[in-house]
Amino acid sequence: MLRPQLNNNVTRPVRCFSALAGLNASTKAATNSTTPKDKEQLEPLSPAQKAYLERAIRVDQAGELGADYIYRGQIFVLTRKYPHLRPILNHMWEQEVHHRATFNELQLKHRVRPSLITPLWKMGAIAMGAGTALISREAAMACTEAVETVIGGHYNEQLRVLNNQYEQKHAGGKGKATTPEEIKSLIATIKEFRDQELEHLDTAIQNNSRMAVPYMLITEGIKGVCKLAIWSAERI
Amino acid sequence: MSKRMMLNRCLNAGLKTTTRLPQLSKLSLIRFYHPISTEYDNSEALLEPLEYKMDSVQSKILSHCIKEKVPHYGFTEKALVSSINDLGYDSTMLSIIGSPNSPSIFHSSPAVMELLKYNLVTKRYNLITAELREGLVNKQDIPSLETLLIQRLKMDKQLGPKALKSLMGQLSIPSQLLMEVALPELFRLSDDIIYFSKEKDHTDMAWYTKRLGLSLTYVTSKLFMTQDKSVDYEDTIEFAKWKLNKVMNLGDYYNNVEEYAWYTVMTSFNLIKSQISKY
Repeated sequence: MLRPQLNNNVTRPVRCFSALAGLNASTKAATNSTTPKDKEQLEPLSPAQKAYLERAIRVDQAGELGADYIYRGQIFVLTRKYPHLRPILNHMWEQEVHHRATFNELQLKHRVRPSLITPLWKMGAIAMGAGTALISREAAMACTEAVETVIGGHYNEQLRVLNNQYEQKHAGGKGKATTPEEIKSLIATIKEFRDQELEHLDTAIQNNSRMAVPYMLITEGIKGVCKLAIWSAERI
Repeated sequence: MSKRMMLNRCLNAGLKTTTRLPQLSKLSLIRFYHPISTEYDNSEALLEPLEYKMDSVQSKILSHCIKEKVPHYGFTEKALVSSINDLGYDSTMLSIIGSPNSPSIFHSSPAVMELLKYNLVTKRYNLITAELREGLVNKQDIPSLETLLIQRLKMDKQLGPKALKSLMGQLSIPSQLLMEVALPELFRLSDDIIYFSKEKDHTDMAWYTKRLGLSLTYVTSKLFMTQDKSVDYEDTIEFAKWKLNKVMNLGDYYNNVEEYAWYTVMTSFNLIKSQISKY
């Protein structure tokens, strides 16, 4: 019901009739990253560093799940009335699906537990997307603007911590401290996603998000909700 | 200040300053990100939550005790003292072994608590072979959930009926040991079994329910094992297989119901839509 059509020219995720067919599959390899071993090894991450990464991956996964469902709700309500919005919304939604898949994979690989209130995030996100879309299309865009503003700031904060807290010394004590490859790739991922989120922000403004009535109430309200959600997804 | 508060304080400080995050130890209940890269030097790593290395004196005494003395004396101070005497150490080793634990009115001595902890932690680590841990095993050779679960149950065969009873009895007393050692270890065990087996892992609530189901299976099978008098614990293994199958079926029931409900919602929505579009 809430699954909008994808454009044909993009790579389609495998989608059977059953939304749950994938649950029965059992293919998983305990694969490892392939860093060359000849380099001198780094000091292991401290418990506090590991705990921060654990939080970061959980909150990002929950956030991208939320974004995915917000766009699903918007597409469900809006594309019937305004077919010209379909390609714009679909483009943003596909990017969010990719973000979500990436963080799902990171969560499984690094053994991070998902947020305990995942069902609440799903319902809240659909309600937020569909609810604002029901007010008007400008309100839906204002919702996108608010969400992406908060997410952009949140990713920036994570990038700041990842860049200055994860310089590991070499195990032998020689050489300059460097950031492990694992963290570097996480930084690259988050950077890419942040840029795409900010692109969504621009798209929302171009589509008259500022003309939403009541603009201040919607954007400030949603910003507050998003911040609260980030705070709790990090912890619960 | 609790460990969690300490960690939170450090995390918050880490966000605001550019100083290094301090080293914290003994955060038994907190779950960590699992680095999978080979670029770290893990030669100094301990088997968390144990606080000594595997070649330390404590480890020597405890492993000797579990192998030689526990089947006879059960998990008691007597078994430990006898091991210490056999290996020729001083009897003060008893307090060194018990030092990571605080005394508890529910348990005879901190050293015995350490013995229980050592038994759980080392067996959990030994369950997963080094090749499997490093991901060097071929895809088709990755063990199934059932194989690992039964392997873990078989690891306790050597303890014998008396020690098994005392183990389960002491672990299930509602006490600090239950909250800080027994339950987290149970959770880590089922997490390890799911992560290293070829079982599908999940990104939503099923992540929790699958671990809960596996933990329940393990504990019930273990309780069955304490009463089992069959040769080589064959009945226990059969029971564990049956129980696991039943628990995993529960997941299937849920999925089927959800799938059918979703199908019904979709068809009724489309039906209404088609009726409305006539007018």
